[in-house]
Amino acid sequence: MNTDRFDLGGGEPIITLRDIAKSYWREELEIPVLQGIDLEIPAGAYIALMGPSGSGKTTLLNLLAGIDRPTGGSLEVCGHELNDLDDDQLAAWRNAHVGFIFQNYNLVPVLNAFENVELPLLITGAGRGERRDRVDQVLQLVNLTDQMFNYPRQLSGGQEQRVAIARAIVTDPDLLVADEPTGALDAKNAEEVLALMERLNRELGKTIVMVTHDPKAAHHARHQIHLEKGVLDRTVEVNR
Amino acid sequence: MILGLLFALPFVAYLAWLVWALVAYPVPLSYNLRSLWQRKLSSASTAAAIALVVGIFVVVLSLAQGLSQAFVSSGRADQAIVLRPNARFELNSSIERDRMRILKVHPLLKRDGNGPIASAEVVVVKLFPMADGTDTNVTVRGLETAGIAMRPQVRLLQGRWFRPGLSEVVVPRKMQGRFAGMEMGQRLRMGGRDWQIVGTFDAGGASYESEVWSDANDVMQAFRRETYSSMLARLDNPQRLETFTQAVDEDKRLKLEVVGETAYFKELTKAGDPIKILGNLITLILTGAAIFAAMNTMYAAVAGRTKEIGTLRALGFRQREILASFQWESIFLCVTGGIVGSGLALFANGIQTGTTSFETFSDVSFAFTITPGLMAQGVAFSLVMGLLGGFLPAWRASRIPLTEAMKGG
Repeated sequence: MNTDRFDLGGGEPIITLRDIAKSYWREELEIPVLQGIDLEIPAGAYIALMGPSGSGKTTLLNLLAGIDRPTGGSLEVCGHELNDLDDDQLAAWRNAHVGFIFQNYNLVPVLNAFENVELPLLITGAGRGERRDRVDQVLQLVNLTDQMFNYPRQLSGGQEQRVAIARAIVTDPDLLVADEPTGALDAKNAEEVLALMERLNRELGKTIVMVTHDPKAAHHARHQIHLEKGVLDRTVEVNR
Repeated sequence: MILGLLFALPFVAYLAWLVWALVAYPVPLSYNLRSLWQRKLSSASTAAAIALVVGIFVVVLSLAQGLSQAFVSSGRADQAIVLRPNARFELNSSIERDRMRILKVHPLLKRDGNGPIASAEVVVVKLFPMADGTDTNVTVRGLETAGIAMRPQVRLLQGRWFRPGLSEVVVPRKMQGRFAGMEMGQRLRMGGRDWQIVGTFDAGGASYESEVWSDANDVMQAFRRETYSSMLARLDNPQRLETFTQAVDEDKRLKLEVVGETAYFKELTKAGDPIKILGNLITLILTGAAIFAAMNTMYAAVAGRTKEIGTLRALGFRQREILASFQWESIFLCVTGGIVGSGLALFANGIQTGTTSFETFSDVSFAFTITPGLMAQGVAFSLVMGLLGGFLPAWRASRIPLTEAMKGG
């Protein structure tokens, strides 16, 4: 294991953060969550964001996924300066460039697996046939073709997370963000999900940024970035 | 009218945008429909509340419709009613016999083999016992034989028409069930005489179904009336009405007023105003409650689905798409209730009832008339409830900060 501060290897950066700061306000009181974050993440990286609770991991993930906006600094992701995009443009940007994997899967309970995976494609304007083909393709990739008409309540936790991963990649985004993707899974299912994510990184070249507390999960990433009290602490390259 | 349009304009524009959003925006409708189905109990109770309100709304409208039909179907465009000036209604009018003689030979009246087609008539109000033991005023119309033929919608169902000089009456079939002692062969006591019921008639929903008919002279004698109330006159064609009106108006011997029969009965439809006002007041109060119920249900739906909303936003759905989606959910909920309510109102269709006209102080019999148009109005009403009740919750859904929604509220 090598320890090099913030060196994530070569390649064109897909994410460039310059002096990023994020604060929340509680009445008159400013609560800084992130300060002075400078970071370049190259395309095709697989990053585990780690750190103690309250260190700002999820906030940083939300910023680079276009879910939240920084209070300072610049943030270029997938070729777009996110500060320059209005809410509608940001929504369209998320749809085109980011796939989301959540701890609790966040599947829509009233839609079946097929419909859940199809959701992001409805925004793209793809035709019915194209959508069906894309959904079939990604469900095959996560090995859930036989469960496509089951509703989330009819699936196991591992299957639900695989549906969520299929939904995350169905638009073929450049970046996958995952917030504790194995946090709600048992060891066996967690391992399956992590293996799948690793495959997406290795075989499909997806850039993955994953927030995790779990060292085993972090070990699947190529680099670990540690946050401490809202600042980058160190970067660790994982030798596998 | 203009105020109404100004009020309706934002609704129409917003609805048009929603319809466009349904086509242009991609949140699938199945998402909303299944979400409603998933919350069966709260959806059903809200829809039931809406159904109740819409049902009452449609029944109230049908009362007004029934009344309108009773009066509007009574009039003919080529007939006129001659009254004392400013009398407005037959009950307030009087025409002396000598004036009536001049009127009945007026050259503008249509003629047949028996001479001018006109009927001198007298209208009195008499208290009759109802089947439920209460009493109510009923219009008794004395008319000439020509007057029967001048009302083609009137059909004899049973027995025969009254004969002059014999104190005979014919009664509407629809009054028989509502009033006591109105069966064939029974006798009615009025004007100090017993009157034999010799026939029953039907008037196709017209207001004559609220009147007891007899010979004009018999009624005048019994009620000691020296004057007629009105004359019903038929003209060659509807265009002659204005000429006839002018001719009567300018005739110094007459000093009478002519009103087109259709216009006369239209004026009488105001008899339904108190019912409409009361009905509208009840509907208004219930509407407020129903909108509140819909709003409450939708607020609960939004609160329970903040994480879903956050997920949809994260996937790329925009705020206005979330707004349209939840607004449609509310509309579906309310329109379902509206359809059920309009359907339930059908059970009232055809039921006979009556009200007292404040114009004639007598009973007006009519039937609840539920038409497809009224049912459509009921559904449209529920749509408005869906728009009003759903807007604020849908707006809130679309404005939840994305980070809050991602946390699940």
